[in-house]
Amino acid sequence: MTAATTRAAAGPPAVAGDVLVVEGLVHRYGDLVAVDDVSFRIAPGETFGLLGPNGAGKTTTISMVAGLVPAHEGAVTVTGRSMARDPVAAKAHLGLVPQELAIYPELTARENLTFFGRLQRMRGKELDRRVAEVLELIGLEERAKDLTKEYSGGMKRRLNIGVGLLHRPALLILDEPTVGVDPQSRNAILESVEALAAEGVAVLYTTHYMEEAERLCDRIAVVDAGRLQAEGTRDELVRLTGGVDHVRLSGAGDIGAAAAALRSLPTVVEVAADRSALTLTVRDAARAVAHLVTAATAAGMSLDGVEVSRPDLESVFLHLTGKALRD
Amino acid sequence: MRQLLVMTAADLRQRLRDRTVLIFGLLVPLGLMLVFNLVFGGSDDVELRPVVVAVSAPAGDAFAAVVLDAVESVDAVDVTVTRGDPVEVAARTRSGDADLGVAVPQGFTAALQAGGSTEVDITEGGEAGLETDIVVSVVDGVVARLHAASVAARAGAVAGLPADRLEGLAARAAEGPDITLVPGAAADEQLSPAGAVVAGQAGLFLLFTVGFGVLGLLAEREQGTLDRLRSMPIRPGLVVAAKALAGFVLGVLATAVLLVAGALLFDVGFGSPAGVAVLVVVAVAAATSLTFVVVRVARTAEQANVAQSILALVLGVAGGAFFPLSATGPVGVLLDLNPVAALIRGLGITAGGGGLTDLAGPVTTLLGFALVATLLSGLVPDRGAAR
Ligand SMILES: Nc1ncnc2c1ncn2[C@@H]1O[C@H](COP(=O)(O)OP(=O)(O)O)[C@@H](O)[C@H]1O
Ligand SMILES: [Mg+2]
Repeated sequence: MTAATTRAAAGPPAVAGDVLVVEGLVHRYGDLVAVDDVSFRIAPGETFGLLGPNGAGKTTTISMVAGLVPAHEGAVTVTGRSMARDPVAAKAHLGLVPQELAIYPELTARENLTFFGRLQRMRGKELDRRVAEVLELIGLEERAKDLTKEYSGGMKRRLNIGVGLLHRPALLILDEPTVGVDPQSRNAILESVEALAAEGVAVLYTTHYMEEAERLCDRIAVVDAGRLQAEGTRDELVRLTGGVDHVRLSGAGDIGAAAAALRSLPTVVEVAADRSALTLTVRDAARAVAHLVTAATAAGMSLDGVEVSRPDLESVFLHLTGKALRD
Repeated sequence: MRQLLVMTAADLRQRLRDRTVLIFGLLVPLGLMLVFNLVFGGSDDVELRPVVVAVSAPAGDAFAAVVLDAVESVDAVDVTVTRGDPVEVAARTRSGDADLGVAVPQGFTAALQAGGSTEVDITEGGEAGLETDIVVSVVDGVVARLHAASVAARAGAVAGLPADRLEGLAARAAEGPDITLVPGAAADEQLSPAGAVVAGQAGLFLLFTVGFGVLGLLAEREQGTLDRLRSMPIRPGLVVAAKALAGFVLGVLATAVLLVAGALLFDVGFGSPAGVAVLVVVAVAAATSLTFVVVRVARTAEQANVAQSILALVLGVAGGAFFPLSATGPVGVLLDLNPVAALIRGLGITAGGGGLTDLAGPVTTLLGFALVATLLSGLVPDRGAAR
């Protein structure tokens, strides 16, 4: 076996440097600046997430990266090929899984894959082999000869993804692939993305689900109103919130006295009280929690529950934009 | 090129799987052909019965012989000529032995040459009908020509031409001007009623069939596959080119099948296969480019489909798909530029025996139409459907 085939079997050929370089992208719809000066890079094997609410500009960004719409400003480079100057070469190295289904209802799964494979310049035995592989990967071998219009929603979604990765692209772009998918298919999708990343594929993943971003992405860009609000690993982003945690003490007794006692402690930033619980904003809750429980009990509160919540991407988003990620 | 074929093949496969094309491209037009032929047809198949014509012609009279000869050589009707004197002719006609009596008077030639008035006496028998009308019109025509010939001869004599030249002149005038039908000159009339129905329906549904291919572009957008195609390493014009090719292939196939099936079912001939093939190809090209204008102007696939159907009907009706329409002046010119009309006209020409060279008119119209529509589709701003 030659070196080239070994590499092909193991994933995309290694490229020097980043698979995707995005610099200063701008796209306007009339007066609306849908994407405003967006830059990021993705290395081989890395999964990069665009996390933001509906209308943030994720799809528009991805559309520029995939060459569907022109960038009004800025540049996209895929494996060293400029999308503006040499779109055909740049596109040969990317696979797109659009947010909306993009398969032919009047063709079977096998026909869909074969058709798109041919357009990706695959042919002959190599194409047949790869189609069979992908059908197995997305669990559709049994139904490969049925027209896709007869498929369930989940099956269509899986095929939609299968088409995107058929030609072993160096960069796989997935636009909210789990929206409207049952939990089981959703898990299968997330697992296959993880598997591809492990093979060395660079993944650009958009979502408005923070759990997905947390689970899949090595680095995450928080987007809102067309701009990247922040970018980094999950921990880096969380640190932006100032590193405060939330502790909720619930119970009965003298809640007012407990609140006063806790407020005087140096680790406690803020205390909010209601009839049956105290919500504390605390620095480094992991170390302080035992102390907080003791102090509340000593002040005459009988506790029946303690909850510690570490900040998540939801709170990062809130911190950065003043809005909730989901409405 | 390979990618273009891959894409066109996939398109055709889908269009043919989706039964609409089969239904609207073939079954409906064939059904309509059948209906129209049942309703309006028949006149083509009228059996002309043979007729018996009793003729009296003075012996040795040159022009009387011409009349007799004309009656005997009527093509359209099977004519049996019985000769006799004027009295016998009148008796046979009255008794019904003859359907028509034709009596050429004594001194017919001399009277004509002298410029005097003379008449051929024609009597219709009891069984007069379409057949006898045909024979009467032939006799009338010959007599009128003989009049013209003698007038010409007398004019020549007045001008002092020698007698032998005069005879030749008269003979030539008697043959009448060359009004043998030149194939294609009066093309519309050369399609039989059944042929006109077949050609008309083929022309009308051509726009529908081509639409199924080209409007697939809008389906791509609504299926979301257009975005995926745009992310692929293919040339920008490829998707549009594939739709055009798919529409073109569907149009050519459907029209060919309709013409062949129509010709076999209703026993019509369209003449030169090469001529018909050229016509079909340019007509489909015109329909295809017209559809691209629709794709541009429409905002949604729904709108495009409606617009295409309306266009198909308007052009079909104006082109004579249901009944022949003619007009003079600017409206007439407009009607003539209609691709459906041009196709029907062209088929009339080939059916009348015209070959490739006789098709210059309709072919030029159709190519011009294709060219203008293509330019137009490039100029019209895209209102959304094809984006
Ligand atoms: N074709 C379009 N025409 C006009 N405005 C658009 C179009 N597509 C998207 N937008 C607007 O651009 C903004 C970003 O949209 P989009 O990129 O789809 O966001 P996301 O994918 O993050 O939900 C939104 O305000 C949206 O309404
Ligand atoms: Mg989106």
